[in-house]
Amino acid sequence: MTRLLDTAFVALFGVVLVAAAVFLIVPIVMTVLMSFDGREYLGRFPPPVLSLRWYTAFFFDSYYMVALRNSAMVSTVAATMATVTGVTAAVLLDRYRFRGREALSAFFLSPLVVPTVVMGFSVLMFLSLLGLYDGFVRLIAGHIVITVPYTIRTTLASLVGIKRSLVEAALSLGADERRAFREITLPLAKTGIVAGAVLAFALSFEEVSVSLFLYDPPSTTLPVAILGAMRSQFNLTLASASVVMMGVTAVLVLVLDRVFGLDRIIGAGIYRS
Amino acid sequence: MSAVELQDVVKRFGSVTAVDALSFSVRPGQCVSLLGPSGCGKTTTLRLIAGFEAPDRGTVRIAGRDMAGRRPYERSVGLVFQDYALFPHMTVEENVAYGMRQRGVARGEIPDRVRRWLEQVRLVGFERRRPSQLSGGEQQRVALARALAIEPDVLLLDEPLSNLDAKLRQELRLELKALLGSVRTTTIVVTHDQEEAITLSEHVIIVNRGRIEQQGAPGDVYGRPRNRFVAEFMGRTNWFTGRLTQTTGPGRWRFESEAKAVFTVAHDAGREGLAVDVAVRPERMGVERDAANGAASADNRLSGRITVGEYLGADLHHWVRLESGERVLVVEKNVGQSLDPAGTPVVVRFDPSGCIVLPASGAAPADPRGGHDRAERP
Repeated sequence: MTRLLDTAFVALFGVVLVAAAVFLIVPIVMTVLMSFDGREYLGRFPPPVLSLRWYTAFFFDSYYMVALRNSAMVSTVAATMATVTGVTAAVLLDRYRFRGREALSAFFLSPLVVPTVVMGFSVLMFLSLLGLYDGFVRLIAGHIVITVPYTIRTTLASLVGIKRSLVEAALSLGADERRAFREITLPLAKTGIVAGAVLAFALSFEEVSVSLFLYDPPSTTLPVAILGAMRSQFNLTLASASVVMMGVTAVLVLVLDRVFGLDRIIGAGIYRS
Repeated sequence: MSAVELQDVVKRFGSVTAVDALSFSVRPGQCVSLLGPSGCGKTTTLRLIAGFEAPDRGTVRIAGRDMAGRRPYERSVGLVFQDYALFPHMTVEENVAYGMRQRGVARGEIPDRVRRWLEQVRLVGFERRRPSQLSGGEQQRVALARALAIEPDVLLLDEPLSNLDAKLRQELRLELKALLGSVRTTTIVVTHDQEEAITLSEHVIIVNRGRIEQQGAPGDVYGRPRNRFVAEFMGRTNWFTGRLTQTTGPGRWRFESEAKAVFTVAHDAGREGLAVDVAVRPERMGVERDAANGAASADNRLSGRITVGEYLGADLHHWVRLESGERVLVVEKNVGQSLDPAGTPVVVRFDPSGCIVLPASGAAPADPRGGHDRAERP
């Protein structure tokens, strides 16, 4: 009896796992297939004829192309600045024990728990107060705020893995603090920093809710454009645009894996003994 | 001129005084060890010399120069960390070359010098390996080569052998001693292992609670400990607490323990009634199964019964309860004799000159090693 229950218990896990996988994958597979639909109208699944017409439509639609270019620009700038900020903050939090360190750490990570809708509104209010009305500036500022927690976290994770004695060894061998940082700390934290940068780019690239508050027509990003198109002219260009977005993220992850090894980044490092 | 000199150095961490008015000096080319239990301030002392900590008071001099305000990279100190701290993203070669590059050794000269040092630590052929591909002993040798390659005024070793297993430790101890002997760099070894301290260095400084308990040649510190802490820290000891009752000849005193064990001790500065602790090393005692044997010699003879016999391969440990009630440990070399069963009546024999007489410490001091090295057993 006990055995039977055990088997049933394990089987239940299996069922839940499969169900979860199905719900994750099926919609994506459907979207990908539909993006190759040859029909002119939005028909039933599956598509009877395949073609690249919706991709042609996407790449020849200046609305989407401007949005794609905007997204690439905003995400690149935001991810770069979030990485620089994140690394600086992480080094500070890792190296120095000062009063209010915990509070500062919590403060840096707070955007993780504040709803993005609230973040978007707050950033909009604040930037208006500063007199910044340009859509690009606002988007970049907003995206930095929501991606910095990730760059701090990944950098901090890899910094914590670097033994203090390594830096001290460099100092005793004649390196000053700056050289020790550049030649020992940075290379050893590299995986965490790169992971943070890629994560920041991916998050910024797909960000909708904060962007909705901050964009203006010239600075429409791709996700905002897809959302707008869905409301106004529902056709399968949406599917091809989505697949392009997925593609960008997938390529990024692949490159990351090839260059650094994903498991090395996720389980990074040289741990303190 | 001393290679390293500490004068009245104090270092506090919050309310804890880690180093308390420490003064000592090391002659050029000398190998000195700082020996003490964990938390005694020896590692802090090392960090003060290396420049990772600044003293609250006192001066640290290296090669005669005051080091106050000097950063680690402004001193000429080679440091081998307990965990070796090899740079994991660099090869063996790059690790050894690192210090020379920082200290401005001409580019063309570096490969030659790296090679020389790798020869010195017998690691030729390992140039392109990463630290993760080396064994513990090999890593330690790379760390040594890296520290020595900058030709420092002083080499600091932090628990150099503690991360290695017992057998390897002995081998590397010999190797390390040979290496230190051939490079003749002034060396300070920090360790909690008395064997390591005794074998590696010419001068042992025993530190406890941030202060020096005793210093001297290894044989002096082992054979003539100045107090109970040093005696216990330097090896196993059988203790008798009591007083000197009368002199029995020049430099000879009759001693009577609180438990009424009576025997003769060698002591120059005694007086009648003086309360003392007497320490006898277990290897200075012997057991005799035949009570009549050797009765004529001047040795002390105390009868008792074996309680436990331990077989340790090279050594035999006999735990004996004396008739007076004290328990003693007697260590004999294993020369093929058999262990006695519990209850065997024996005579414990020892020479009066093997007795270390120390002023009574009153209450038993805190055990420096958490109890496992004392010759007392429940």
